[in-house]
Amino acid sequence: MATAPLLAARGVSKSFFGNPVLRDVSIALQPGRVHALLGENGAGKSTLINLLSGALRPDGGAIEVDGRPVWRMTPAYAQQAGIAVVQQELSLTASLSIAENIGLGAYPRRFGLLDYPELAVRARAACDLVGLREPLSVPVGHLSLGRRQMVEIAKALYRRPRVLILDEPTSSLSATETKVLTELLERLRGEGIAILYISHRLNEVMALCQHVTILKDGACTADRSLEGTDAGGLVRLMVGRDPGDLFPQWQASVSTANAISVRNFSAGLMRDVDLDIRTGEVLGIGGLVGQGQEDLLLGLYGAIPARTASATINGASSLPSGVPKANALGLAYVPADRKREGLHLIHSIITNMMLPAFARLPALKLRSRRAERETARGLAAQLGIKGDLDRPAQALSGGNQQKVALAKWMPHHPLALLLNDPTRGVDVETKREIYMMLRNFAAAGKAVVLLSSDTPELVHLCDRVAVVREGHIVAMLERGALSEEAIVSAAMGAEQRQVAA
Amino acid sequence: MTAWKETVGGRRALTILRSRPFLTVAIVAAVWIVASFVSRGFGAYGHLRYLVELAAVIGLVAAGQTFVVIAGGIDLSVAAIVTVSAVSLPLLSWQADPTGLTAVLAVLALTTTIGLVNGLGVALLRVHPMIMTLAMATFLQGLLIIIAGGSAVTAENPLVRWIGNARPAGIPAGVLLWVAVSVIVLAAMHATSFGARLFAMGANPLAATLSGVPFASTTLAVYGISGFTSGLAGVLVLGMNGQGYVGIGDPYLLASIAAVVLGGTSILGGLGTYAGTIPGAILLVTITALITVVNASPGWRSILFGSLILGLLLLSGREQARR
Repeated sequence: MATAPLLAARGVSKSFFGNPVLRDVSIALQPGRVHALLGENGAGKSTLINLLSGALRPDGGAIEVDGRPVWRMTPAYAQQAGIAVVQQELSLTASLSIAENIGLGAYPRRFGLLDYPELAVRARAACDLVGLREPLSVPVGHLSLGRRQMVEIAKALYRRPRVLILDEPTSSLSATETKVLTELLERLRGEGIAILYISHRLNEVMALCQHVTILKDGACTADRSLEGTDAGGLVRLMVGRDPGDLFPQWQASVSTANAISVRNFSAGLMRDVDLDIRTGEVLGIGGLVGQGQEDLLLGLYGAIPARTASATINGASSLPSGVPKANALGLAYVPADRKREGLHLIHSIITNMMLPAFARLPALKLRSRRAERETARGLAAQLGIKGDLDRPAQALSGGNQQKVALAKWMPHHPLALLLNDPTRGVDVETKREIYMMLRNFAAAGKAVVLLSSDTPELVHLCDRVAVVREGHIVAMLERGALSEEAIVSAAMGAEQRQVAA
Repeated sequence: MTAWKETVGGRRALTILRSRPFLTVAIVAAVWIVASFVSRGFGAYGHLRYLVELAAVIGLVAAGQTFVVIAGGIDLSVAAIVTVSAVSLPLLSWQADPTGLTAVLAVLALTTTIGLVNGLGVALLRVHPMIMTLAMATFLQGLLIIIAGGSAVTAENPLVRWIGNARPAGIPAGVLLWVAVSVIVLAAMHATSFGARLFAMGANPLAATLSGVPFASTTLAVYGISGFTSGLAGVLVLGMNGQGYVGIGDPYLLASIAAVVLGGTSILGGLGTYAGTIPGAILLVTITALITVVNASPGWRSILFGSLILGLLLLSGREQARR
């Protein structure tokens, strides 16, 4: 290529705590081109952005600016070099005004003091670019999520970048705002700015971008022009992988009886969902992160307010009014964030395992430490948790912590197990053990609901998979129709060929 | 040579030796021994008995406070509740009951109800415990001033006078009351499911809720208990004092929290025991007595008291880093 890329990564690698997140990845951002970066959750996209913007330093490989390798890339240097990042998690300060947020860290100064008139002029110019008409003095906390996203983009433009990196900028935007953004990016491209665009909405990517890099498990699987590819082809490049023998042999154990059945169920982000969960099945819940899947589980579990037209849960004809009621109905929930929601890290492993028992026994019933120890020993042996059970739970590895979070429900023989991403951050061996447990659980005639961000897990473990997008179940895939491509394309709405409007 | 450490009994002994309650007991013993050499009369049986009697009031207030703190909250209304109890009891005198028991039970029901209202605010209205209980304290103080005014009221209640002055078998009735309450509190805290729920709520309320711990009713119970034990402390302090007046409970707010923390209970919740609060209360009273012996002016007394508590906390190990 004639011109040197404005910003490039050459064979970069990065690992966290010994887990490789990126392996030998290269990407080159050319001026006047919108470059798409695609990949599943956890494929390494965010890490790559952090390397490009200097927030992280690569373990191997190099970051180049204008074709010259940069020895120590830092956020300050990146800003100097004209690299601006619009983060997925907004970095705005709610109590400051729009103008103050936009100028934060790069305020114009006059006689050593903040030059508010100059700030107002320049912030106004940036806001006009993105179509923000609100007065500049409005605190950002008063704006809707979509408007805040636009402020975030204006903040990046205020710095007059040569390279603009956008991490899922449209996930919270309305159709009109998305249109404004699309037009803006077209114009910036015409001005010779290099743009890196990350999105899960494939039709947007197809319409806007010229070049694509696809990451899968930290490695680059495609670096090509978008010309002549279709959405289906991109999906295949994102998920094609060898599942190996991680998963137990699938055997049908599903019955026709419903353990849980809800009609017009709404909770949190979920709206008017009809769902039947059968005894003896593993029902997968798939979709992109944050589409309302978690609210579905929490609503069924009575942990957040939920409404429904009719519900049958293990024989009862209404939703549980609270968690204790849900437990009494035979529901158990294993949270995703085990450190924050699942465990009492400062308490002993025994206490953690016994907590659901303490919660449901009569309050003034005397405890038997001997019986507690025996139960906990039995659970530990069953799940292969080794060592002193009097240690605090924080002494355990992530995988073993997850086992404790699961084990504590076992003495209560739940009829339906609701699991929220139980294998996130868990080593392969523990994953295998958890998969075995879930399948055995289903084989014993119980219902398992498995919410997962790991698509292969859904394909190989589940009897059916409900794919959730924007608060609705958009597809219910039966065992025969299960494939990673089917789940991902349903999750992204790739079957709808409409262009983002 | 260190073989005994390997045995189960040896390990248990080591755990006890290293525990905070034991450390607090050791500090109390050391202070008593040193003080009795320095100041004549400090180590006399009568004087030490008097100290424990004073500590009983703090110990009762701190019993409820320990429950609340372990469950992850704090009760800043205890002092006001002590005053409510000590001021309202003399106002309730029923001729029909010569023992005075009905009046005491009525007052305890009243203070428990105040505690339950605290619990309602914290559990259902989601008001921060500090705000809720502080607002309650302010409300009660205003109410007391309206009802009792600035004058002291004398208790004519036989039961209250007995609790404050009787010495069955040479032991003050107040101390016996404290012992009885301590046994019940320790059993409820460490030997029941209810106690286990408190520790879980204090260590991680979200995880406790998702594990099925009934958050609202447990919170309600905890603040109700705090109201009850504060009311009991008010009855005792009224009996010892003979008169109740607005402000009689004021010293017990800082004292109850200090006793809890000196006893090794984490102010962040989830860790601790009343077994530490007991020597913590005795240690506080001892410090106060020592300061009085020094014969300083009231201003200096307060300064010394505050500095000594800070010093002791630094000495016995600060809160370990968590999360």
